[in-house]
Amino acid sequence: MFILGFHFPASFGNKVPDEKVVEKLEGAGVDFNSVNEIKMTSESHGVKETLSYTKKDTFMFKALVHYVKTAETDYMIYTNRYQISELSKRLDKDDETMALCKKFDSMAQFKITAA
Amino acid sequence: MSALRQIAFYGKGGIGKSTTSQNTLAAMAYYFDKNIMIVGCDPKADSTRLILHEKAQNTILQLAAEMGTVEDLELEDACKPGAGIFSPESPHGWINCTESGGPEPGVGCAGRGVITAINFLEEEGAYEAEGLDFVSYDVLGDVVCGGFAMPIREGKAQEIYIVMSGEMMAMYAANNISKGILKYANTGGVRLAGLICNARMTDREYDLAWALARELGTQMIHFVPRNNIVQHAELRRMTVVEYSPKSDQAQEYKELARKIIANDLKVIPTPLEMDDLESLLMEYGLEEEVLEDEIGKSAEA
Repeated sequence: MFILGFHFPASFGNKVPDEKVVEKLEGAGVDFNSVNEIKMTSESHGVKETLSYTKKDTFMFKALVHYVKTAETDYMIYTNRYQISELSKRLDKDDETMALCKKFDSMAQFKITAA
Repeated sequence: MSALRQIAFYGKGGIGKSTTSQNTLAAMAYYFDKNIMIVGCDPKADSTRLILHEKAQNTILQLAAEMGTVEDLELEDACKPGAGIFSPESPHGWINCTESGGPEPGVGCAGRGVITAINFLEEEGAYEAEGLDFVSYDVLGDVVCGGFAMPIREGKAQEIYIVMSGEMMAMYAANNISKGILKYANTGGVRLAGLICNARMTDREYDLAWALARELGTQMIHFVPRNNIVQHAELRRMTVVEYSPKSDQAQEYKELARKIIANDLKVIPTPLEMDDLESLLMEYGLEEEVLEDEIGKSAEA
């Protein structure tokens, strides 16, 4: 089973607890404080939108920093993006993050960089 | 040397199974140096065209008919090395290609081609090729025909990936294929290894695909977004991985390839009863609830 690109052994079955994902994320060796802002551009049917995200105390921020630091591309893999949103909806509460989750749930394509 | 893994891609006709399987296998060979043999089990013989850069490969049944019998056939005639970056000379992994073929439309049993092909390849030692890491079967339809169930029935394919989408018929087919796997799971050891959502980009498609996966006891291993570059590559009879290895879509197939290589979640599926499947579709808006007394009534009534 794969969440945010992390492999969870088959013994977890197909329902991995959120805290296990957070554990993997925090143990991935990424310095989350090294980034202050995540910049994203989304594109759908030719309409582009630029987004900035700075809420450093959220699961969303850590997941995005991890993606930026470990992915070989600035393109956001759809599965990972949907999974980040799915988890963030359960682990984060603030309106700004929920609004970003809603955007992540769309069919738009996202590019991501650390500012 | 690691043990040979035999995987299969099943799915409803027209779901993009051959395109998905070839692009994924291409990524496994190109990015992860895996050596692969594709056994196309679809009578239309399109499971290898993007790897070979050809319209359609001569099938084992076609070649056997030309020679007289399958006994007259040599492995080199039926098993072709991939073109370009998938050739044996490639610094990456190589891909060998075969197609079982089938009878003329409306005549005979299509599944017989699958049976004949697998028996032929086994007898000729195709599975013992040096360095072979994966055998991949690309199989048509939803296993209502016993011939198409051959790779799972005989325990040839051990892990099954079902290519589906958020469309109703694709979900029905995925559930039916799971029933087929369940039937042979205890005798042949076949397991469901995951759903691959070849997205149609419909509303809540990711959620729906995951909901079905959970019900079946498996994972939705990857959501492959729709991207025109797949069609552009196909026009040149190429996989995206070869056509544009740094493209966004190639990254999607690379990630799917990585996950398949590392995947260890292989389960005996728990298929849904038809009522439960319909409830799931209704929950995600693919079917509308109909009142009992409206059934059979015209719109004007």
